[in-house]
Amino acid sequence: MKAGYASRTPASLLGGGNMTQMPMGAVPKKKDEKLKVIGKAKGNPRKLFYEMKRNYSAYLFLLPKLILFTLFVAIPVVWAFVLSFQKYKIFGSEFVGFENYIKVFESDAFRIALKNTLLFTVVTVPFGVISALVLSTLIFELGKLSQSLFRSAFYLPTVTSMVIIAMVWRWMYNYDFGLFNYVLGWFGVGPVNWLGQSNTALWALIIMQCLIPFGVGIIMYLASMGSISQSLYEAARMDGASRFKQWIHITIPLLKPTTLYLVLLSTIGSFQVFTQIIMMTGGGPGSATETLVHLIYKTGFRDFEFGLAGAQSVVLFVIILIFSVIQFRVLRHDE
Amino acid sequence: MKKVWKKSALAALTLGLAATVLAACGDKEEAGNAEEFKGKITIWDGPRWPDADDNKFHWLEEKIKEYEEANDGIEVDLVQVPWAEMGDKLGVAIAGKAWPDIAPVDISGSAVSIDHIEQGVIEALDPYFDKDAKKDFYENALDAYTYDGKLYGIPNSITLHTMLLNLDLFEEAGVEPPKDGKWTYDEFLSAAEKLTFDRDGDGKTDVHGFSTYILPGYYEAWPFFYKNGGSPLNEDLTEFTFDSPEVVKAIQDLADLKLKHKVAPETHGGNDVGGTFQAWANEEQRTVAMQPWATWAIGAAQGKYPTNFMVAEYPSGDKDASTIGGVGGWVMMHQDDVNKKAAVADFMKFISTAEEQYNMAQHYGIFPARVSASEMDPFKDNPEMTRAMEMSDQVVMLPRHPEWRKIDEAIQNELQLVFNGEKTAEQAMADAKKAVDKILE
Repeated sequence: MKAGYASRTPASLLGGGNMTQMPMGAVPKKKDEKLKVIGKAKGNPRKLFYEMKRNYSAYLFLLPKLILFTLFVAIPVVWAFVLSFQKYKIFGSEFVGFENYIKVFESDAFRIALKNTLLFTVVTVPFGVISALVLSTLIFELGKLSQSLFRSAFYLPTVTSMVIIAMVWRWMYNYDFGLFNYVLGWFGVGPVNWLGQSNTALWALIIMQCLIPFGVGIIMYLASMGSISQSLYEAARMDGASRFKQWIHITIPLLKPTTLYLVLLSTIGSFQVFTQIIMMTGGGPGSATETLVHLIYKTGFRDFEFGLAGAQSVVLFVIILIFSVIQFRVLRHDE
Repeated sequence: MKKVWKKSALAALTLGLAATVLAACGDKEEAGNAEEFKGKITIWDGPRWPDADDNKFHWLEEKIKEYEEANDGIEVDLVQVPWAEMGDKLGVAIAGKAWPDIAPVDISGSAVSIDHIEQGVIEALDPYFDKDAKKDFYENALDAYTYDGKLYGIPNSITLHTMLLNLDLFEEAGVEPPKDGKWTYDEFLSAAEKLTFDRDGDGKTDVHGFSTYILPGYYEAWPFFYKNGGSPLNEDLTEFTFDSPEVVKAIQDLADLKLKHKVAPETHGGNDVGGTFQAWANEEQRTVAMQPWATWAIGAAQGKYPTNFMVAEYPSGDKDASTIGGVGGWVMMHQDDVNKKAAVADFMKFISTAEEQYNMAQHYGIFPARVSASEMDPFKDNPEMTRAMEMSDQVVMLPRHPEWRKIDEAIQNELQLVFNGEKTAEQAMADAKKAVDKILE
């Protein structure tokens, strides 16, 4: 989970920020007046320059972030794209056209990594988002003090290094003295080699991911729930709607922008799963837990095939983009 | 006619003389002049043995101080890198062309490969090492750093793998350890069976006879695979040969210690390096009687994890016992300034003398790569290291193929599946062959 994503609001990202504060059925304004001005200025360089000059202090504040973004995100991304068409050599790389991309699509290792990553994503993303929604609903009903307590408790794993979490879980999955096998022993079930068998290793990582609370999701859902107008619930209660029906027909629909943001966020995170793999299984046994980012890492930094690693990264980028567009369209369908 | 002949001979002589002078100048230019360099030399190193303040970099720090005092204008910057991160960090540094001047590298390891030599990332040291300078090094140590007839590093240590036997557990189980550390595979299996026992009578096995782990880049288990003969690739490195019947049988034998004979724990053949070692060495565990390790573990068992143990050879099969060896040393990364190159070579020589290798052997659990350092007998008070050093003549080196890392991974991934019972050794090596053949194409 990246702090940068967590600090953005779903509203700013999706353009539907005032959805949760509006009565049902109201049509949100798509652009405010200021956006219209900037929109007009967009096609006219002089007006754009004038706009920038007028708001120079805002641009100055943005500048450090923009410089860091350019240096550490934009340039490396462009460089990875350029590399993907080269056979990388320390002194003078060669242009090889689409050769690296052909290798990616012909590679068994890439196919296995893609399959494992998809399974990891398909299970952990819905589980993470739904559990965050359910937990948020339960926490939202509590008093202020209890809310703060649970909010902090569930957010704690988000601020804990995944390396530490992975080490703890590695102990929990330990064959000889791990927590899981100890508990299984109570029920007379023999120990399981969780991380050492192909049929359990990936599922062990998936279970681990599912059981780590989705702290960002809980915090965001709680914030969004707080901004839903109470008049809607009052009206529903007057119409005799049960609490479950209120949740289904009021809470969930009005949380849709938040849900969309969280689904996008966790899908991107799941496709990039890496730390757990390198800390707990190294992609094994065999290739049972090989994932795309771990494969890219090995291709780049173990085999020093940076061109091929670049091509793998671009393909991963396209896959994430496709998933994001599909999710965006499906979840925004009835807005 | 005579005059013409004389003129031609004179011209030829002059040309020859000029060529010799130019060649000599070229050599000198290539070698550079260390005294003309003023500036900084950067060296990376991992933690070695501790001093009284638990500083594991004290040896190199002291050598640097000594060198700086003797060479005015040269500053040597030591970058401390944990061994576990050395490969990755060096890989990233190479990718970013931000490498140190000197790095401690086993050239057959994962951080630096023949591919880097071919790309010019590693400097040849021949201008600084004439035949006489090379004479003091063991031939196999020099071979490890020689490629295409050129020397690409100064060997400073030789390591190999040995079997470590916990003698307390041998005594508890009433098992006689192998005489002189030599045994056959049947004797080893028989010992492992007796060393697997239920100490407290609760029906659960408390101690297992043997265990090891399987992981790309690690070769503790591999000498077992060589016990009947065979090797991963053929001699000219063009064909996968680890699917030969003798190797397949040896692999299956080792996996069967867990799968069939139940003398190894469930984690046998897994990827947990630390957990495996703790099971043998940690006083609170000691649940495994025999494990194979590289020679660093001898030092650990004599220091941090004091254990009553002995060093034994790997068991022999149809062939004599063998072991996998490695050669550590210093390499010089690419240099643009020829005078700096000479200064870097000078410092590398300064920390690779026979005295330094003797010092390192005594304290750091490695064997010297210099003959004269071995002759100083660094292990005269350490019979276990002496026994391990006697195994040097059994050393088999890994194939020096530029794509070895990929080949190794293809084999080890399949080996993991043999040890967890998902494939037979025959199936696994047949699948490994398919993957390796693609790499060798």
